[in-house]
Amino acid sequence: MILDDDQVLIKNILGGKKSSFEELMKKYNKKIYNFVLRMVRDEEVSIELTQDFFIKIFSVLHKYNFQYKFSTWAYRICYNLVIDYIRRNQAYVDSLNDDSISQKRLVESKNIISENGFDKLEKDEIKEYLWKTVDLIPLKYRELIWLRYLQELKYDEIAQIADLPVGTVKNRIFKAKELLRKEIEKDGMFE
Amino acid sequence: MECLSNQQIQDYIEKNGSFVERSIIRDHLIVCEKCQLRYKQYLQMENILTDPEYVVPPERIEKNVMKKIYSRFPAYSSLLSLIAASFVLLVSWIYIYFDFANNSLIQALKMTSDNTSSWIASVIKIISTIFSSVYAIYKTVSKFFDILFNINIGIEIFSLSILILTLILFYAIYQLVFKPSRRQKI
Repeated sequence: MILDDDQVLIKNILGGKKSSFEELMKKYNKKIYNFVLRMVRDEEVSIELTQDFFIKIFSVLHKYNFQYKFSTWAYRICYNLVIDYIRRNQAYVDSLNDDSISQKRLVESKNIISENGFDKLEKDEIKEYLWKTVDLIPLKYRELIWLRYLQELKYDEIAQIADLPVGTVKNRIFKAKELLRKEIEKDGMFE
Repeated sequence: MECLSNQQIQDYIEKNGSFVERSIIRDHLIVCEKCQLRYKQYLQMENILTDPEYVVPPERIEKNVMKKIYSRFPAYSSLLSLIAASFVLLVSWIYIYFDFANNSLIQALKMTSDNTSSWIASVIKIISTIFSSVYAIYKTVSKFFDILFNINIGIEIFSLSILILTLILFYAIYQLVFKPSRRQKI
């Protein structure tokens, strides 16, 4: 069986090599932290959840099946950790069932635009505006956007992580982009 | 041809669909300004989404994780090693000093332990086996030195060697287990 880079690191970690775990953490830290941060929107909570994730990974690493891709397995653990946290916090639960963009948060996002005016917006500001708008769409769409674009995962990988059929993943990402496009169009942000 | 659906445009951007389907969409986009506009909007959005900005994670994440993971193991293992090493040291000396292999008490204990299922009996058996082996090695080495060099190694010298080896083992365990955890705590 040919092992990929991650799997070689895991073999070394299981063999007791401390530096391999450091290397694995360095590789995934940025993406995991950013995913958690976008999902929970709290820096301190994100730091704690990211730490919990790596500790969890270390403690269950012996259960990892080398037939599967490590990143998918790890992201699934991360996803479950974040979703558990969100479910424990009632404030987020409502957004799971809400298909419309939160008007209150929309005002916050539009402040970026009203300060500058659309014509004067730089590329970075358009980028910031779009990502802030992603923050406003319901969690069930937003989480898939993060997995797709932040973690650069394929549809089938996302389906495994979120425990959804591939068709549902595609539909939700499609719906998410629909919501985004309509919002951006309404604001006249397209060139 | 009817205008393209948003789904078709998104699929085209994501390079999904067969060559024929993609060719039909491409041809339509050339002639239909309305679809072209939506296509450009989705493309612009896709370009931004595929180039996300990442926040740099705080350094303390990695430090805390390494500290939590690798300091808890020495804490447990060092305690176990200490107990194990002390036990080995103590039993070695008692065993060697009293030459327990020939002691009637141990002989009796060995016989009774055969009829018990307690873990103590098993431990005694293991220790007894180890030290019987060590004693056999001593006998062999002693004979070897006696024949070749005409030197008689007494049980005292042999036990001193075992003591030194135990101390070396003890020191190695200390270096491997105790030292890193202390460094981490600092």
